[in-house]
Amino acid sequence: MSTALAFAAIAEQVKSAHPSVEARESDNRQPWLLVPAADLPAVARLLRDAPALRFDSLADLTGWDLAKFPATPPSTDIAVAYYLHSLAHRHHLTLKVMAPRDAAQVPSVSGVWAVANYFEREVYDLLGVAFTGHPNLKRIMCPDDWIGHPLRKDYVYPQAYNGIAHLRDGQHFEDAPPRVGDPPPAPAAAAPAKPPVKSA
Amino acid sequence: MSTDVTVETLGGERMKLNMGPHHPATHGVLRLMVETDGEIVAKAVPDHGFLHRSIEKIGECVEWPMFVPYTDRIDYVCAMNANLAYCVAVEKLLNTDPATAVQVPLRAECIRIIVAELNRISSHLVAVGAMSMDLGAYTPFLHGIAQRETVNDIFEKLCGQRLTYNFVTIGGVAFDLHKGAEAEITAFLDAFEKEMIRFNKLITANTIFRDRCAGVAAISAADAVAYGLVGPNLRGSGVDWDIRRDEPYGIYDRLAVRVPVGQGFAGRNGRVGDCYDRFVVRLLEINESVRLVREALKMLPAPVEKKTDATGGYQADVAKQLRKPPKGEVRVRTEAPRGEMGYVIVSDGSKTPYRVRCRTGSFTACSIFQKLMRGIFMADIVTVIGSFDIVVPEIDR
Amino acid sequence: MEFGPAVNTIATWISGPDPSWWAVGIGLVAVWVIPVLAIVFPVAAVGQIIERKVAAAMQRRHGPNTVGMDGILRLVVRLAFFFLPRAAQDRIQARITALPGVGWTLGLLQRSGLGQLAADGVKMIGKEDIVPAGTDGLVFRAAPYLALVGAFLPFAAIPFAQNLVALEVPVGALYVVAASGFTVVGLLMAGWGSGNKFSLLGGMRAVAQVVSYEIPVGLAIAGVVLWCGTMDLHQIVAHQYNGQWYSFLGWNIFQSPFLALLACLLFFAGLAECQRTPFDMAEAESELVSGFNTEYSGLRWGMFAMAEYSEMILVGALVSTLFLGGYQSPIGEPWIMSLPGWLETIIHAGILLVKFTLGVVLMVWIRWTLPRFRVDQVMRLCWLTLVPLCLLSLFGLALTMLLGGLAGGVHTGPAYGRIPGMQHINLDALGWLVTWVVPVGFAAVLVAVARRRHGQMHPALKQLTGGA
Repeated sequence: MSTALAFAAIAEQVKSAHPSVEARESDNRQPWLLVPAADLPAVARLLRDAPALRFDSLADLTGWDLAKFPATPPSTDIAVAYYLHSLAHRHHLTLKVMAPRDAAQVPSVSGVWAVANYFEREVYDLLGVAFTGHPNLKRIMCPDDWIGHPLRKDYVYPQAYNGIAHLRDGQHFEDAPPRVGDPPPAPAAAAPAKPPVKSA
Repeated sequence: MSTDVTVETLGGERMKLNMGPHHPATHGVLRLMVETDGEIVAKAVPDHGFLHRSIEKIGECVEWPMFVPYTDRIDYVCAMNANLAYCVAVEKLLNTDPATAVQVPLRAECIRIIVAELNRISSHLVAVGAMSMDLGAYTPFLHGIAQRETVNDIFEKLCGQRLTYNFVTIGGVAFDLHKGAEAEITAFLDAFEKEMIRFNKLITANTIFRDRCAGVAAISAADAVAYGLVGPNLRGSGVDWDIRRDEPYGIYDRLAVRVPVGQGFAGRNGRVGDCYDRFVVRLLEINESVRLVREALKMLPAPVEKKTDATGGYQADVAKQLRKPPKGEVRVRTEAPRGEMGYVIVSDGSKTPYRVRCRTGSFTACSIFQKLMRGIFMADIVTVIGSFDIVVPEIDR
Repeated sequence: MEFGPAVNTIATWISGPDPSWWAVGIGLVAVWVIPVLAIVFPVAAVGQIIERKVAAAMQRRHGPNTVGMDGILRLVVRLAFFFLPRAAQDRIQARITALPGVGWTLGLLQRSGLGQLAADGVKMIGKEDIVPAGTDGLVFRAAPYLALVGAFLPFAAIPFAQNLVALEVPVGALYVVAASGFTVVGLLMAGWGSGNKFSLLGGMRAVAQVVSYEIPVGLAIAGVVLWCGTMDLHQIVAHQYNGQWYSFLGWNIFQSPFLALLACLLFFAGLAECQRTPFDMAEAESELVSGFNTEYSGLRWGMFAMAEYSEMILVGALVSTLFLGGYQSPIGEPWIMSLPGWLETIIHAGILLVKFTLGVVLMVWIRWTLPRFRVDQVMRLCWLTLVPLCLLSLFGLALTMLLGGLAGGVHTGPAYGRIPGMQHINLDALGWLVTWVVPVGFAAVLVAVARRRHGQMHPALKQLTGGA
């Protein structure tokens, strides 16, 4: 006999304990719970430990930048999504935490699910969300001295890394905006005669 | 059992040792910063990112179907499964809106099962072969690779590629089976089963091999779940969970998927969830995959002229839908040879994805390394890495 | 010290009736360095081809089959007929190749990959001898020589034929063990001098392992010494001759189950001394990159390789000498002894060569079949399995000899195996029964019990290996 709970029942249980949690739905009717950042550790513990819920595994933890997403109402937050799964009851849940992009801070859940240690390092590296209370919050994919967080929608590809140019002579990024510290734009006469060829 | 000395009893000076990024046993460019006292490892910290190619960022810059070749590069040892995971995810996204729904033809679904399971076989062959090579037995590796060659030959006839196939497409598969493919696959499976018995006699039943793996780095079921282990690594710890059976995608719900789990196969010295269990679970899965391919071959409908035919076709037409997919997000989990390959796809309704997230098995497997690599022998590091069957591009993406 | 008649003859010929030490040295070089190395060196080189060919056969590959005799023939023709135009040389070569049988033979040699030998040699000599920065210069440079010396010195005492033995020392068996100890010093120096942590670990492993495994080797040799009553390898060989046409039954390995067991133990312990899979702790390619020789290249690396293969030959030769009748043929000696001396020497050396080559092939076979032990397992195997078994065999051997002695007979030859109180019955069959069937049967029961207790296979594994 299945002990799996539907989303509504799970949401009900969580909301009764934490009224600040809201049930939401994405544009294509995928349900998720919006958790305020401050409540996240408590909610996570509840979800893992409540006997009817028992979300023992954190299947995935990721995030995306909402800056260019045509949401209503528009938002510039970083969405951090937690995909939980219960091996005991075989049910699912999606949590989301919205972190403001300028001071993106979310409490770490690596004490609740051990695997979050790695996932949070990845989200920190690529999206720049600082997980407070993380034991070892360092970049995991990019080098430690990398500047910027590549998966943010306003990320500008650096022209050089530690003095090593990323592009050879004649190569260029299409419509790469100038960055602070770049040489001043060349006068119009020096501009290339041919329009830049769009690369595949 | 691996050692009577615990880290706490170690004294004196520790030696720092860099295993990798270029080391024969790290399966690519993985770096382990190891602290040892003589032969005993006090601490090993993995260092990732040498192979980071920002594939998820690329996903935001290319159109929906153009990302499929990049999935090949996420896990090139089982590229068919990597293709499949992404395509299933995009199809699920399209199906969230009736206006853009897509019906994958049954023949295409069968072909997907056939190639995915064949690729699982060849991927597991690399895994068990490489692990036995890490433990110093070179011959089984080559015997496994010889079988993988045959699979690659079949795939080459199928789609012209031997490693990165780009074969599964959104809405079906890129080509129909070539003439005589069924006979070829059946002939391969028949020969392969006999070969595997030889292989297992050579290495799996070998006492030295068993004693090397027995009881090493045993992971309890609770730890395996908490550290996000997936696939054979999770099942090796005795957790009965297989996405193909428990959350079926494609037509796996019409096939009888049996799930082998670790039971302490090594016997006297073995423990549930040790390196030997993970190794044997892979070998048992190979046998299951052989059976699934046979079943899928039986279900395969006859081909028809029209390629979008709901039964005998091989590719639904999705070009129109992909220009304007529904806005929103989906998450799909699929069972790749290295465990769950999950996609989170966010669409803003345009012809390029807004965000493509690929969750891979090797990445989470690395999260438990630091816990396991304490108080074991130097030589066991190699056994542990081999038993997790990590593929470095999958970690770093 | 007595170095044998040939050395004496040469030394006296050089510096008079009371030869000086350097004349003896020259004599030694002439008598053993040249002929013995003439056998060992090529075999050590061919050993690599044997290894690659056997491995290829086991892995269903071709192995070396490209660099062949064709190029060598062309080189010979070019050198011999350098004064002729190139076209004429080509025609000559075509003629030679077209001779009946020559083309076929060349093709066979080509496929055998023997040309690879020369190519590898040239490559190794031609490579740059890299001494990385941070190495302990002298130690790093000297290590390969010591390893090579340690591998070659023991051959001095191995009798290759009636008169082909360099060093007829009365303690030949002891000398072999002592001289082979040099190798480990070479490995340790390589590990230390490389200035590389992987090398250091490899060197340390090598020392721990080789020093441990010298004990079973010594004990196994002691068993033979006990049985034959001499440490002179030449006399040990002579002791194994029973004067019959079925002279192989006189070999030590067929004298007692304990000697047969000691032969196996010596072989395995020797395998461990050679640092080959399953005992290749020191190299352990997947753990320590390449262990003690990680930093070596070119000829210095080649010396280590050469040392490894000569050590394999040494183990093969030692097992053959101690247990398999040495250079004697298995079908009696008169037909060889009636031949002229030089032919006798060649045939005897050839027989020993066949014997130790079989041993080498067996080692290659083992290497490409088995995985590697772990460090602690290697040590456990040595101290908890091999050493007790050696001691047990020694004890059993001593008991057999004691009983044989009580029976009043010689303890070897056709009369062995008599038991007390039964002297009046000359029952060879009973003798066989007592010396062989009882101990072997007892051992078989023990093994069966152990298998029942420990060999229980999981049903899933039985299914995987095609069992019921």
